[in-house]
Amino acid sequence: MAKRLRLSELVNEIDDAIQNRFAGETFWITAEITDVKKQTDKRWCFLKFIEKEGHLITAEIKGVFWANTFHNVEKFEKLSGQTFASGLEITCNVRVRFHKRYGIDLEVLEIDHTYSLGKLELEKQQTLDRLVKENPKLIRLVDGQYFTSNKSIELPIVLQRIALVTAPNSDGQRDFKQEIENNQYGYAFSVSEFLTQIQGDNSSKLIIQKLKLIEAEKENFDVVAIVRGGGSQTDFKPFDDYDLSKYVASFPLPILTGIGHDRNTSIVDLMARQYKTPTKVATNIVEHNYNFESEIMDFKERFFETAESMIDEAKDNLLQIKRTVKAYSPATILNKGYAIITSNDKIIINPKDIKPNSEIQTILKNELIHSTVTKKSKNEFDI
Amino acid sequence: MNLTYNKAYSDLSKLVDQIENDKIQLDTLADKVKQAKELIDFCETKLRTIDKDVKAVLTDKKPTTRKKNRL
Repeated sequence: MAKRLRLSELVNEIDDAIQNRFAGETFWITAEITDVKKQTDKRWCFLKFIEKEGHLITAEIKGVFWANTFHNVEKFEKLSGQTFASGLEITCNVRVRFHKRYGIDLEVLEIDHTYSLGKLELEKQQTLDRLVKENPKLIRLVDGQYFTSNKSIELPIVLQRIALVTAPNSDGQRDFKQEIENNQYGYAFSVSEFLTQIQGDNSSKLIIQKLKLIEAEKENFDVVAIVRGGGSQTDFKPFDDYDLSKYVASFPLPILTGIGHDRNTSIVDLMARQYKTPTKVATNIVEHNYNFESEIMDFKERFFETAESMIDEAKDNLLQIKRTVKAYSPATILNKGYAIITSNDKIIINPKDIKPNSEIQTILKNELIHSTVTKKSKNEFDI
Repeated sequence: MNLTYNKAYSDLSKLVDQIENDKIQLDTLADKVKQAKELIDFCETKLRTIDKDVKAVLTDKKPTTRKKNRL
């Protein structure tokens, strides 16, 4: 019978062999990751690297980020806007380690972000290209800008009836509603909530379902807001989904998005009106109504100012007429020393009506003079 | 009349245009002032109140129930 080894002896030999081959050496690999388990409190991340041929896994090994390299995971999420999760392909620098109890694994020292992000970006670009190619009536790319049917829908002049698509009890839901409900102008809004999970594998389908409910009663809404918030949440993948993006591009009500932050723009953002954060979506809705009200106030000012000046002008005219009437009144004329002559109770305008021996009355300011005409002659009085 | 924001806006802008271009006579001014005032009041009030039918949608959040109610 061959010599029996204690398990620890064999394991030690394996350890030695691995040490001899791999000690002090690091390797760059590109592989898909799966079974990602993050322990955020300890800043550890366990995962598996796999390689596939078709559906068959042809190579598999455990991997780990320890606290001193965990920042690579955080940086990846920050830059990509995606959760560091199964299904991603990453390029990273690793060291082969062997533990007498836990076995062999690859300790990740560094992620090549440029490569890993480039790969994601490429996938996103492929989806965008497909959207444009397969839906020429809905989506057009002109000078690097995406024009969609949805974006071309004119916003109603006032936005009051809002369909809100968001995750229940999320920061986005809270931020949006707070901004809307406490708007500084006291505008009234009705917010109908269509709550759904918006992160994770199935989310894009769930969001589509909610949008379909909204479409079924589209006459009840002015606008749709899709929001998600919270700086730490980074899974944008559902918003890069082909079917969801296409549906958003074709949606019959204007859609405003607040699902990203400044660095990340999802495909859904490109298909709709993008406002980055839930709060910004809400602020823009409020401002939209404020712009309308401002125009109404401008009309009000212009109309009533002109109406007032019309009335003032009419008053002035009336005053002018009064003055004229007064200036030509007999009393004014008599005050100035002129006289009115009457005969047989008629005012004499034509001197020919008066013959010598006629009885005439001369009306002066305060007195009436009765006379008999003795003589008539041509007027040589120089006025 | 079922007034809308769009109608109020266009009517009001017409009134402003008329008055600014001397197309309103003094004898109809009072009437036009009343019209303008009504349109402005409509917008101001509607911006700050929610219609009853809109409120109904708000309080009835389950889409399935909402459909039933409309049938």
